[in-house]
Amino acid sequence: MKQHYQNRIELLQGTLDLLILQTLQWGAQHGYGISQAIRSRSGDALQVDTGSLYPALHRLEHQKWIKADWKTSGNNQRVRVYQLTAAGKKQLLSERSRWQQISEAIAGILSPAKENET
Amino acid sequence: MSFFWRRKQQELNEEIDAHLRMAAGDRLARGENPGRAAQLARRELGNATLIHETTRDQWGWRWLETFLQDARYALRMLRKSPGFTTVAVLTLALGIGANTGIFSIVEAVLLRPLPFHDPDRVVRILEAVKDLPYTSISGEDYFDWESQNRTLQGSSIATFTQNYNASGAGAPEAVAVVRTEANFFSVLGADPLLGRAFASGEDQVGKDHVAVLSYGFWRRHFAGSADALGKTVELNYQPYTVVGVMPRWFNYPESIDVWIPLDHTVQGTSARGNYSYMAIGRLKQGITIQQAQSDLSAIAAHQSQLYPDTNKDRNVSVIPLKTRITQGSRPQLLMLLGAVALVLLLACANVANLLLARAARREREMVLRATLGASRMRILRQLLTESVLLSLAGAGLGLVGASWCISFAQSTTWLPIPHTNPISLNMTVLAFTVGISVVVGVLFGLAPALEASRVNLAEALKESTRSVASSAGWRGKLRDVLVISEIAVSLGLLIGAGLLLRTFARMRSADIGVRPNNVLTIAIALPDTKYKTLPDRRAFYDRLLTRVQALPGIEDAALAQTLPLEEDHSWGGYPEGAPDWRASLVQLRVNFVTPDYFRVMGIPFRGGRNFSSQEIDRALDSVQQYAEFTKKHPSFQFGEHREFFCSAVLSYAAAQALWHNQDPIGKVFVSGNIPVQVVGVVGDVKEEDIRTGATPSAYFPMTQELDNSFYAERIVVKTKMVPDSAVSAIRASVQQLDNSLSLFSVRTMQQVVAENMEDTSLQTTLLSIFAALGLILAAVGTYGVMSYLVTQRTHEIGIRVALGAQPRHVLSLVMGHGVRLAGIGVTIGAALALSLTSLISSFLFGVAPTDPATFVAVTAFLLLVALLACYIPTRRAMRVDPMVALRYE
Repeated sequence: MKQHYQNRIELLQGTLDLLILQTLQWGAQHGYGISQAIRSRSGDALQVDTGSLYPALHRLEHQKWIKADWKTSGNNQRVRVYQLTAAGKKQLLSERSRWQQISEAIAGILSPAKENET
Repeated sequence: MSFFWRRKQQELNEEIDAHLRMAAGDRLARGENPGRAAQLARRELGNATLIHETTRDQWGWRWLETFLQDARYALRMLRKSPGFTTVAVLTLALGIGANTGIFSIVEAVLLRPLPFHDPDRVVRILEAVKDLPYTSISGEDYFDWESQNRTLQGSSIATFTQNYNASGAGAPEAVAVVRTEANFFSVLGADPLLGRAFASGEDQVGKDHVAVLSYGFWRRHFAGSADALGKTVELNYQPYTVVGVMPRWFNYPESIDVWIPLDHTVQGTSARGNYSYMAIGRLKQGITIQQAQSDLSAIAAHQSQLYPDTNKDRNVSVIPLKTRITQGSRPQLLMLLGAVALVLLLACANVANLLLARAARREREMVLRATLGASRMRILRQLLTESVLLSLAGAGLGLVGASWCISFAQSTTWLPIPHTNPISLNMTVLAFTVGISVVVGVLFGLAPALEASRVNLAEALKESTRSVASSAGWRGKLRDVLVISEIAVSLGLLIGAGLLLRTFARMRSADIGVRPNNVLTIAIALPDTKYKTLPDRRAFYDRLLTRVQALPGIEDAALAQTLPLEEDHSWGGYPEGAPDWRASLVQLRVNFVTPDYFRVMGIPFRGGRNFSSQEIDRALDSVQQYAEFTKKHPSFQFGEHREFFCSAVLSYAAAQALWHNQDPIGKVFVSGNIPVQVVGVVGDVKEEDIRTGATPSAYFPMTQELDNSFYAERIVVKTKMVPDSAVSAIRASVQQLDNSLSLFSVRTMQQVVAENMEDTSLQTTLLSIFAALGLILAAVGTYGVMSYLVTQRTHEIGIRVALGAQPRHVLSLVMGHGVRLAGIGVTIGAALALSLTSLISSFLFGVAPTDPATFVAVTAFLLLVALLACYIPTRRAMRVDPMVALRYE
């Protein structure tokens, strides 16, 4: 169990929203589906805590970046399916570019660039 | 809302259930054992309740949800302790109700704009003389301002209230009438309910027989029918066509029945030097009061140069109408609002005390909540919800009481406050009530809540039975502070009330210079349309007096133009031969009386004699004769031809002001260019106000002012029995002479005096009620704290008694604490009162704001009450049976 935890990467503050929006970019999905998608796409490295996932989903919904509908699944069960709104798409773009900047900045710090010497 | 809410929560449940099912399903698909799959999935999910809560937080109405939850819980808690809830709610209802009542008056009188269009632009225009900034105006002065100003959009001159006889169908009725320039209603900014206001030009002779009725008069005389328009009302035997009816709320000037046009010329009003009118104006858009003031002042300065005899040292005052209307009541209303706020403060302190005691009992509950993970903020919020609910319940109950008081205030006009705006329980008042109850709820709830939420878990859990010592000490100190401040505030209120009560007593017993016992006063107005000549009028009055004097039970009867303590007019007078007449000018209150007036009123002669019948006859046309005589003899000097002089009886103060210590009998003073010879001197009368000094007065024979037809004449009679019983006989006598005349303003002289004390009486009554409430609250508060203290220390006292402590030791132990608190409270309160009573000094009469007798008596009284409140629980402590006390816990 302990081992399992060590393998997990703690999500950076604020990155969960980006991951959810990005996941929904590929198509509408329910909460469990979103957590599974993030997990498999990250090669099991990122595990979304359910305790963070649902508050995040409802927060994004409250901000009108995603919207939710009840759909009936294959075995006749109701699931709440989320999809991106137009505002959410715009938000995704801006969050992506922000993430880009952050990761470049961090990469710059971690690999001492040659420019530093000039 | 609540349904929507529940559905949303169910959906969240369903969403998380679906999550669990899918997770378990995946685990099954991976080949896990079905029982374990569901269990693992649940474990992976974590704390479902926490997920629920944090998710719900995202919806954005979590606070409301928490609030409702807290409110539900609080209601349950309050229901479970009905005793506490009842006492707290009643205490708060008293405080909040009293505040709502007083605020509703403040709102109507001081806060609400006047009910006119653009009310901020409406002003009163008055004349200013030396140290009197607001006096009545003369017509001729007004016409200059009206035609020359550049800052007023319009202005309107009007008479003061006049008394007319409404004749015609039914019994004759005295009607309050104001005559106005035609534009009066448009300057004021008020539209009639029915018909129209006066059209321009209707204030000219010949077109002026039109009338605008008040709502009340219209209801009384035309049963509220629209047919009233075009009908006729008969006033002083003259027909007036009704052109309009004002709405019910319209009440300016106050209590007027009918408005009729005023002849808008100098002939119709008055010449310079005769000041018996009022004026209103409407500022042009964007013009300030100051601009209008300097504009009109410039005109007044010019008038002073052109007409030095009448207008020297005269200026004009422009003042917002609302300021003028509320001037008299503002200080007393603010004083009462302050006093009633103190009562609320006391109520708060008491409820805070109750809450503190309750906090001790609920310690275990708080510990439990904290153990289960409630943060301090969360506990605080819940306790504050409880206290705000309490105060809202108090406000609800208080509103019931206040609305009863307000509807009573609405139904009377005796409240000595302006009634231009009706008092009502409107949205502003409701908002105020809800506002103060929330503030008050937090105010009295915060300290106990902070205290209760200071849970030290480790300590609390260790101490299983006894309350946490440190916390109890802190709480005890808070309680002591509450008792001290209650005693201090209550002392302040009591001293204020004490000073006013003494003022009231002083005014009651003040010698106003007349003996009001068994004196009845009745007003009567002879219309000049029927009694045209002076001999006609004189004959009527002579016959009337003869008849009244002959009535059984009547000792004496007389006529007078004005009564003591009523609206009056005054003339300037200076001693004959004074080198600088302006420097020796004395303002004399004038009254026109029949000789018996002095005997009826009990005003003693201090020198000289009463009017002779020759003087009375001569007064009928003396002014005219004198004017003709001086025209014929331009070189005439004062001191010659005394047979033409008017005669007067002066009050002692007037004689002193004119001639200091010389004998005034036979001396001559000049008033309005007419020489007047002094025939007698009488005792001083306080003509203006009981609280001011004696008024210099001059009495003239009534025959001199018989042409006055708009202001009533007063019949004053001294009766041998209860004065009221003479009224019907006098009415019969009047109507035998002329059955169209009506009697009005029928009052005993004692009522006239009482009316002068209305302000003081209202202040004293209300402040005494507030002070009594404050005293009860402070006594209950002190008693509560002391009993609590005794209950807390029963164990300790039991041990002390068991170890041999004598009752007096116990007494000094418990009482000592109470006495210390009361002593500190009284000291602070007295210091507070010393600095505060100067605020009410303007309401006082015959007693200094620092009156030592009041301070000592009230302080001693309060100390006594406080000691009694301490003594009752102490006695219980002294009876403690050590065996019982030791078994107590």
